Amino acid sequence: ASEVSEAQTTDSDEIVTPVSQKCPKAKSEKMCIEIVSLAFNPEAEVMYDENIKQVYVEYKFYDLPLSETETPVSLRKPRAGEEIHFHFSKVIDLDPLEQKGRRQFLFAMLKGQDPEQGHLKFTVVSEPMDEEKKECQEVGYAYLELWQIMESGRDIPEQELDIVSPEDRATPIGRLKVSLQAAAALHAIYKEMTEDFFMT
Amino acid sequence: MEEHEKVVPDSGAVFTLGKTRFAENIPSKFWFKNDIPICLACGDEHTAVVTGNNKLYMFGSNNWGQLGLGSESPVSKPTCIKALKPEKVKFAACGRTHTIVATEGGKVYATGGNSEGQLGLGDDEDRNTFHRIKFFTSQHKIKQLSAGSSSSAALTEDGELFMWGDNSEGQIGLKNIDNVCVPHQVTIGKPISWVSCGYYHSAFITTEGELYTFGEPESGKLGLPSKLLINHRIPQLVPGIPEKVIQVACGGGHTVVLTENAVYTFGLGQFGQLGLGTFIFETSEPTVIEHIKDQKISYISCGENHTALITDTGLIYTFGDGRHGKLGLGLENFTNQFVPTLCCSFRRFIVQLVACGGCHMLVFATPRLGVVEELELDE
Ligand SMILES: [Mg+2]
Ligand SMILES: [Mg+2]
Repeated sequence: ASEVSEAQTTDSDEIVTPVSQKCPKAKSEKMCIEIVSLAFNPEAEVMYDENIKQVYVEYKFYDLPLSETETPVSLRKPRAGEEIHFHFSKVIDLDPLEQKGRRQFLFAMLKGQDPEQGHLKFTVVSEPMDEEKKECQEVGYAYLELWQIMESGRDIPEQELDIVSPEDRATPIGRLKVSLQAAAALHAIYKEMTEDFFMT
Repeated sequence: MEEHEKVVPDSGAVFTLGKTRFAENIPSKFWFKNDIPICLACGDEHTAVVTGNNKLYMFGSNNWGQLGLGSESPVSKPTCIKALKPEKVKFAACGRTHTIVATEGGKVYATGGNSEGQLGLGDDEDRNTFHRIKFFTSQHKIKQLSAGSSSSAALTEDGELFMWGDNSEGQIGLKNIDNVCVPHQVTIGKPISWVSCGYYHSAFITTEGELYTFGEPESGKLGLPSKLLINHRIPQLVPGIPEKVIQVACGGGHTVVLTENAVYTFGLGQFGQLGLGTFIFETSEPTVIEHIKDQKISYISCGENHTALITDTGLIYTFGDGRHGKLGLGLENFTNQFVPTLCCSFRRFIVQLVACGGCHMLVFATPRLGVVEELELDE
């Protein structure tokens, strides 16, 4: 919540605006991930699977509970040629003092030593309808390579990632659109961690 | 948060949400010394506020001169239009890049983008100061203004509707012409009580409570059966609403209708702006929002891709595209809403006015007296 000190008047002298004391966090101390939209290829098996009626998307981020990194609703499975829109954005605090763990987690991704950890993994999940007593089912994965963002030094306004099925990771079954504002934070993290490395 | 709200005076505050250009687009608020808003209007990226002292304040993007301040620079603080001070401004409406205002004396002024004649000044030259539309005189008692992407509308107390500007989709109700740069009357032979211009479609209501739509026919936003869409350039009665219609609001691709008992929506709902849940992303059939059936709605507003509803008790519900925080549901984490969602931060206020724009929303609300103790316990 924003803190307010005294009210100040603007130059027009007729308008009163409460002054916020809260400084917005520096770009190098936060990142923003948005799950924008999702489409399936018309010929993909998921399109014909009548058990799949609605889907949501989630990702895992270090200590964050899934309830904060999954889209809050499932949307109807997109029809052929249709895109479904979540616009689910989350700002993740990367404070250098309070969130060291998260910064190290991102650094490990940037180094990409472990191929399973070199990217942010998004999972598309089929959620059964209320009346059905079935389990949620993973229908696809999409991967975002973080080192690309750091290397280019540019945020990703919107990027389409291939979705692959759990059974066959070679054939795309659809596209997940995500956006990421993280270039400044990733650059700062990489710099500080490699400096630490050379100093010890 | 407590302190944050306590500073709002009893006369209320204007809350800015989404990309307003005010306070660096962080959810914020302002109020007037010895004055209150009586009319809010949002364009694609600019905002107008008319006050009880009949002053006009403008802020936001200004690349077409839509703020009427004599320049094309964006303005981040609400700024009084001094040139209109002697005029007693009553109403304002903002289109995508233009602004129209009406005064107590029945005069109508316009500024901003004019490529389609939407300023009603007889030409297609942009203006960066308010110019008077000579067509309107003191005999036109203006009751309501509305502005679409590049279209404009003025409704009089007598129930006469005048429209001008872009007609590429038939959105000002003329059959065989692309645009008109002076006001012309739109009539179906009955008095009209309400008008709304969407981005490329329009709607009005007769005093008898019938809804008519016209303009861009795609994606169900006219609420008409497909066999009637061939005549989309002239106003046609929307058949699927069995009750008296009170208000209509048109957005970018959707239409929201308030009747005596319910809220109906139709058109495009890919971001949730229809409020019909997570399975209906488009419909041409006027459909009741079941989710708020137990609430009495008193006012509706549509932005390009979002919708706001005010209840008779002064609560506000929003739904649709959540980007930039324009739904008023959070400070930095946002998501599309597919059903009407109560804006909890306004529970301690009585919402008086709302206006939805392209990527922003403005709310005027006064403190709800007597609930402070209860709400403080929540925190
Ligand atoms: Mg879940
Ligand atoms: Mg929008």
